[in-house]
Amino acid sequence: MTVERLGPGLYRVAHDGRQDLVYVAGPAGRRWAFWNGRVFREETVLDAVSARRAGRHGAVQHILAPMPATVLSVLAHPGARVARGQTLVIVEAMKMEMPLRASADATVKAVRCREGEMVQPDAILVELE
Amino acid sequence: MELTRLLIANRGEIAVRVIRACRELGIESIAVYSDADARAQHVRLADRAVRIGPPPPTESYLSIPAILEAARATAAQAIHPGYGFLSENADFAAACEAAGVAFVGPRADVIARMGSKIEARRMMRAAGVPVVPGETPGDQSDGGVQRAAELVGLPVLIKASAGGGGKGMRRVADAADLRDAIQAARREAVAAFDDGTLYVERLIARPHHVEVQIVGDAHGHVVHLFERECSVQRRHQKVIEETPSPLLTPALRAAMTEAAVRAAHAAGYHNAGTIEFLVEPPSGGGPPHFYFLEMNTRLQVEHPVTELVVGVDLVHAQLAVAAGRPLPWVQDALTQRGHAIEARVYAEAPARGYVPQAGRLLLFREPRMPGVRVDTGFAEGDEVTVHYDPLLAKVIAHAETRDDAIDRLRAALRAFPILGVDTNIPLILTVLEHPSFGDGQLDTGFLDRETEALVAGHDSETLPEVIRAAFAADHPGADGGAGSSAGPNDWDPWSPANGERR
Repeated sequence: MTVERLGPGLYRVAHDGRQDLVYVAGPAGRRWAFWNGRVFREETVLDAVSARRAGRHGAVQHILAPMPATVLSVLAHPGARVARGQTLVIVEAMKMEMPLRASADATVKAVRCREGEMVQPDAILVELE
Repeated sequence: MELTRLLIANRGEIAVRVIRACRELGIESIAVYSDADARAQHVRLADRAVRIGPPPPTESYLSIPAILEAARATAAQAIHPGYGFLSENADFAAACEAAGVAFVGPRADVIARMGSKIEARRMMRAAGVPVVPGETPGDQSDGGVQRAAELVGLPVLIKASAGGGGKGMRRVADAADLRDAIQAARREAVAAFDDGTLYVERLIARPHHVEVQIVGDAHGHVVHLFERECSVQRRHQKVIEETPSPLLTPALRAAMTEAAVRAAHAAGYHNAGTIEFLVEPPSGGGPPHFYFLEMNTRLQVEHPVTELVVGVDLVHAQLAVAAGRPLPWVQDALTQRGHAIEARVYAEAPARGYVPQAGRLLLFREPRMPGVRVDTGFAEGDEVTVHYDPLLAKVIAHAETRDDAIDRLRAALRAFPILGVDTNIPLILTVLEHPSFGDGQLDTGFLDRETEALVAGHDSETLPEVIRAAFAADHPGADGGAGSSAGPNDWDPWSPANGERR
């Protein structure tokens, strides 16, 4: 396999008697690539690995803000038992409502957001255990 | 009126589209922008640009005083509202008129009448245009709406008179759910539109969405520009649109376009508009039935497919009509040539409930090939913000046949690298390759029913060898130190261009 750089972010990869154009962008460790309509991310692969590890250790998955958003309603109460798939918070971003759901059966340890509040990506909205 | 100066009260790809038309016609273009868009494409391309407020739409693109003040300050003769924002706001159209600025669209009273679904249904029925069988309860109490639903017969749709985008709408199949659904629909309608008036329609099973483009002028002419099929939708948002519709027979096309022109005359319609219909596929031997759904009193997102197949420029026509000139075409001269299909590329993650994505476009290279048009308001390095609609680009392919147009669109999307935010391109490609799409058999519920199956396998946990090889070659100093990854490097600590912008 040989790789030739054709320009900023653009590589020609020759393999198995054919050649493909691959586009690459982003900082090291968090790069994105595009190949024939499909997108690949270094990060996603790392995340998948760490998620599997986390799963083995039985770590609790808190409810996190997926992106900058406004909290529309909080449906979780401290101490409540919640079921997998249950909606705990509804946020709005880009004019769309998004329900955030529990990834597993759990107990609400703390609610760390208020209705109407603007939240940043990866902020913990609800702690679960 | 000789139109020489136009303000565009919008942003993104549609503002860019209108600015380009202005340039072609020798009209001075004036963009408006919020603080979030100070460096956006439409601001860069326009002849002049006026700041109208902070990022939230209510304080900028939806602020009638801010936009009228920009028009006054720049002595604009007319305002093109684009789509969304103030485009179907009767108060805005009236305010333009009062300020002596031409509104590129129909009269304010026509917008107001079509904005009320109940009023629009009444008017269409009077004009002999078929509407979905249903009831408008005079008694708007829970009990009154419930009786209307029972009269129509379950399953039904409870809908808000002021509704749109699926808000204030509930589907009910079971009588036990009626009361809750009525209350929920009313709550949503009051919250979204400040109007809780409801009506009830019979639920059409597996309908297709087919709409007819019309344009009218101030001299009593109305022409149609045939249909668009827009059945591939997610949560009432269109994703893929095409023309001609694979569902229509010549007889059905003639009946629907004739009904659309009748509807436009009945409404006293000027400028570009769209009559949306639901088409019920035939059960047994009979022909399909069509029903009036609503009228959109503006240019549609999907207007390019009509432009390519009919060979017209709808924005040019809009500006001619707004200047008081007659339509540039007569009906008999308009024909459909070939097939066009459009995909809306959104910054979103279909696998995670279509969550909109924000971020910087690290790499964004539009495909260039014969028969492909790309309408976008973004360029490489731009920021996709959370404040506005996540539409990144429209990719439109035109070819001799439907199959050729689909192949051409697939090739274009495979050559449209967008890195930095997730997009729905992989999902669109899967839909385009789906056998039911190839047969033209998709109904409006298809995408919502099938998303999970369609995106399965799109996220791979391991990187193919080709990608790993490209990553390995992509390091500081790659190939003589010309730079590593593409995109703006001002934030990238790994870039050799640190401190020295390219």
